[in-house]
Amino acid sequence: MLDRLGSGLKDALKKLAGKTVIDKAAVDELVRDLQRALIGADVNVKLVMQLSQAIKQRALEEEPPKGMSVREHVLRIVYQELVNLMGHGAEVQLGPQTILMAGLQGSGKTTTTAKLARYFQRKGLRVGVVCADVFRPGAHAQLNTLCTKINVPCYGEAEEKDAVAIVRRGLGELKHAEVVIIDTQGRHALEDDLIDEIVRINELTHATHRWLVIDAALGQQARDQARRFHDAINIDGVIITKMDGTAKGGGALSAVSETQSGIVFIGSGETIDDLERFDPDGFISRLLGMGDLRALVERAEEVIGEDDVDMNALLKGKFTLRDMYKQMEALKKMGPLKQVMSMLPLGGMDIPQDAYDVTGQKMERYRVIMDSMTDAELETPSVIGGSRIHRIAMGAGSSPDEVRELLKYYKTMQRALKLFRGGGGGKFNMQRMMKKFGGM
Amino acid sequence: MFGSLKDKLRGVKDKLGLSIESAAEAAPEEPLPVEMEESPAPVPAEGPGEEAPAPEQKTAKKKSTLAERVRVLVTEREVMLDEKDVAEPLQDLEIVLLENDVALPVADAIVEHIRSDLVGRRRKIGASVDTLVMDTLKGALLNVLGEGFSLTGYIDSHERPVKVLFTGVNGTGKTTSIAKIASYLKKQGYSVVIGSGDTFRAGANEQMKTHADRVGVKVIRHQEGADPSAVLFDAVQYATAHNIDVVLADTAGRFHNRANLMNQLEKIRRVMKPDLVVYVDEAVAGNDAVIRAEEFNNAVGTDAVVLTKADMDPRGGAAISIAHTIGKPVMFLGVGQSYDDVVPFRPEDVVDELLREED
Repeated sequence: MLDRLGSGLKDALKKLAGKTVIDKAAVDELVRDLQRALIGADVNVKLVMQLSQAIKQRALEEEPPKGMSVREHVLRIVYQELVNLMGHGAEVQLGPQTILMAGLQGSGKTTTTAKLARYFQRKGLRVGVVCADVFRPGAHAQLNTLCTKINVPCYGEAEEKDAVAIVRRGLGELKHAEVVIIDTQGRHALEDDLIDEIVRINELTHATHRWLVIDAALGQQARDQARRFHDAINIDGVIITKMDGTAKGGGALSAVSETQSGIVFIGSGETIDDLERFDPDGFISRLLGMGDLRALVERAEEVIGEDDVDMNALLKGKFTLRDMYKQMEALKKMGPLKQVMSMLPLGGMDIPQDAYDVTGQKMERYRVIMDSMTDAELETPSVIGGSRIHRIAMGAGSSPDEVRELLKYYKTMQRALKLFRGGGGGKFNMQRMMKKFGGM
Repeated sequence: MFGSLKDKLRGVKDKLGLSIESAAEAAPEEPLPVEMEESPAPVPAEGPGEEAPAPEQKTAKKKSTLAERVRVLVTEREVMLDEKDVAEPLQDLEIVLLENDVALPVADAIVEHIRSDLVGRRRKIGASVDTLVMDTLKGALLNVLGEGFSLTGYIDSHERPVKVLFTGVNGTGKTTSIAKIASYLKKQGYSVVIGSGDTFRAGANEQMKTHADRVGVKVIRHQEGADPSAVLFDAVQYATAHNIDVVLADTAGRFHNRANLMNQLEKIRRVMKPDLVVYVDEAVAGNDAVIRAEEFNNAVGTDAVVLTKADMDPRGGAAISIAHTIGKPVMFLGVGQSYDDVVPFRPEDVVDELLREED
């Protein structure tokens, strides 16, 4: 995932620590590491070469501002150039609109279409979905099943072979919907008749947005594919999918740079809620080892009611078993712990791996065990001794070992949370990032 | 596939030949195995677009004894290739490989292989540079791509039913590939049954059923959400009872970093005991191809690889990356949307095609 690209960049920057003058050799080395990190993350090779040229030139020619260390100076340049590379974050209006989905086969258009429908639905809009995939067997059944689960109308025709006709009738059928999302068949840019088809769909719908869905694992090919899609229907946003794997998503960056658009959403899991908004600041801060607080807050506000987790208390480091209980409930809605953690500004701090290894079923067992605890035990876990453990285990129908395991997990979590106290606050802040890097 | 790599490789080959040639040209001036000096190698940051100047050679000033001179004059004259002669063309080669989606560690390994193969090689002045370079490149590529894998050959030499389990991450084209391979096997005269083991993705069952109907193959399926092990077990039972030659077992796409899903796959393997585990990935995948191929290989093993969407990408680096990482042969390439668009992969043909001179 992105954090790996991040660690590559961090290693590169570490080498500048303690340097007082910018010497060419150090910058060369940094640029070479940066190149390897970016190429290893599938960013287009030509793009990497351009970027590294620019960084090298600026690092050597620009005077560092007074009071800024060499490393901060170079870091700032790297950051700015990366922002340039990433383009502008694409806007998502919460109003009536038509969205046309495009992408290669198997990039995740259908799943993402359903996730998007869910996203707009949660924002309080009436959503309708058209399935214009007339080629892949089961495509309509897939989209229909997903949409039925979230009560979104899905228009499709099993027998019709003309995608444009389906879209025309679908638009009529869904005229009461405020947001219409059109899922299309996967195609690649060398298939002329399919490109022609999507051009006609685009002309018919006058789509507000034409979003290109890109698999995070897509390699050097991303740039060419994006260019051809862009030539055909003028792509104005990119959605990266499958970010929950180990792919780093550099291909999507190439696509963004080629289409002069921005990344709108990131798909990061198999359930219908696993879709994140994207903003470039946050993306880069995550790339560089800073958390993306804004994305977390946006997400937390939506999923968690007021009586759920008290983020402030958490950030202050007060963390009881009761908090953990609530957190587990909330996590069930928010997705895997690691995903949530990666959005917090931990500044490259490593959460022990065993904190993540608690699976869904384990969480459920823990919840049952905690149900057998008294209020006092939940508030002040330190009172739990041998006999209480025994009682709790009996009550919950589990073993004392399992109760101890839960307490151990609680302690790991508590320690982890204590470490990022004071990281709260609003938007991404350069100053603070510098500090984090300074302390590295 | 491989079109773009082919063009670029030719460029590198010529350049490699050129610098070896110039190393050789310098030799007659001094009847000794000379040490070449080259202008300092440019840092990789200089980029690939740059025109490479023909390396300037300085003749070595090293004095040597008369006896040595005589010995060299008597024996055949040779040049010794050193690190610097090949540094620049190899850097170009690395960029070429990277641009063609060969993953970074794999590109490093290939370049290293060629370097160690060339450096220190003595070349007789008369011998053809072209052959030397060609052989080295060909050796390196074949070394990476390994042997092909003949599915029909495997089926013929094993007890029926032959059970083939397909694995891979989401959206690489497992279901479609199975339909294509079923059609391919059917045309070759084998009887086939498909186990619809993707019980997770909505519409997967319908997709498999439609495909199977079209190619005229029986499909065993349960409902969505059923235990995939059970479905595939049933498929094997069916094949045994009906004397069917091949069972093709589909699975849901899963990410290699999901412990639970990988455990499920492991269970499937335990229950249906496949003869072959086939890993499916797409030709357009970049560096991640290496990571996930390795993880799948570690979790459930891999006997052969199917590479899909090869028609999308003229580069084909993923084939090289995956083959190099897990050392398993590529069995089929998926090259289009119709059922006939699946071709057996033959490394020799590919490498010959890559290095063939345009007439």
